[in-house]
Amino acid sequence: MIDAMDKAAGLSLNDARFSARRFRPEFVEGAELCRLSVLTPANDQGLARDLRVALARRMATLNADEALIAQYDAQLAELDPSRRLSALAEGATDLAEPLATIARHVDLVTLSPIKAEESDIARLAEAGLNNPQIVALSELIAFVNFQTRVAAGLRLMRAR
Amino acid sequence: MISSVRLKPLTWHPYIAPVELPQATPEQLDAMKVTPSAKKVSEYVRTLVHDPESYVARTVLFNAIMYVEGGLARPDRELGALGASIVNGCKFCAVVHARRHAELTKSDDVVTALYLERPETLGPRDAAINSFARRLSAAPSEATADDINSLRSIGMDDIEIIDLIHAISIFGWANRLMHVLGHAESGK
Repeated sequence: MIDAMDKAAGLSLNDARFSARRFRPEFVEGAELCRLSVLTPANDQGLARDLRVALARRMATLNADEALIAQYDAQLAELDPSRRLSALAEGATDLAEPLATIARHVDLVTLSPIKAEESDIARLAEAGLNNPQIVALSELIAFVNFQTRVAAGLRLMRAR
Repeated sequence: MISSVRLKPLTWHPYIAPVELPQATPEQLDAMKVTPSAKKVSEYVRTLVHDPESYVARTVLFNAIMYVEGGLARPDRELGALGASIVNGCKFCAVVHARRHAELTKSDDVVTALYLERPETLGPRDAAINSFARRLSAAPSEATADDINSLRSIGMDDIEIIDLIHAISIFGWANRLMHVLGHAESGK
């Protein structure tokens, strides 16, 4: 069965990379369970699914990942997002709080994690995020940055 | 002759209050696999278990990527982790995986080359892995088909390359937790 990572990497059932990926069923299943744990968790900690998908779409754009942009756009469309979440997804910075602070953090940690400082976490708390929300947001950011790198690597393996 | 770099372990402390075991929910305790009477659970675990679902899913995947049998050699996975951690600025992860690489290979040579920023002293295999790890870790990724060709030219098959992609990518994840949510200090 084709999963989200295959789709992002452009793998079809008869692709050699599709079979090579299945040499590690624990990676295939593990990545999918991680995806569900950050996008559709049973307990969303107050960070709703449409917000999570909008942020994932924003990060796909920061990573210039066309396939993941399309995948998250489709998921977001199904959730009938508000205008402010659509703007967030598309990379807007003139947002109301706490979205502005969340967007700033997502951009920073995606593009230049090396620059992250203690004050960046303090900003999230000042914007009203509690500790479970700060951790859940961090895991979402980290996951999308994992996902886009696995997909990018698999895509590059195509050329021989 | 340059002297070799020997790294001392660092201790990690979070910027937010970790979960205290007496206040942990049954789901958090289950995620940490601890009993309420347990005393020692690291600050790292207790910080990430604020969100137990992602904690469990990520831990299972992380352990599979770094420790699964067969495929890419362990030191190569550690080198991928180290290259990513340097790009992403996670000193804590870099030291952990530099030390593990040195232990596994019984040599500080590769770690020394990376910490002294002398990648030209690496052998062809380590150079290809390090270069790919650096370039895939950029945001957006700067890796190209040439990087994959370099890995193939040192004898890596597709399964080993997929293992390496995962080792680098899972540190695109781990570094964004460890470096963002806390800081590393020497000593305790």
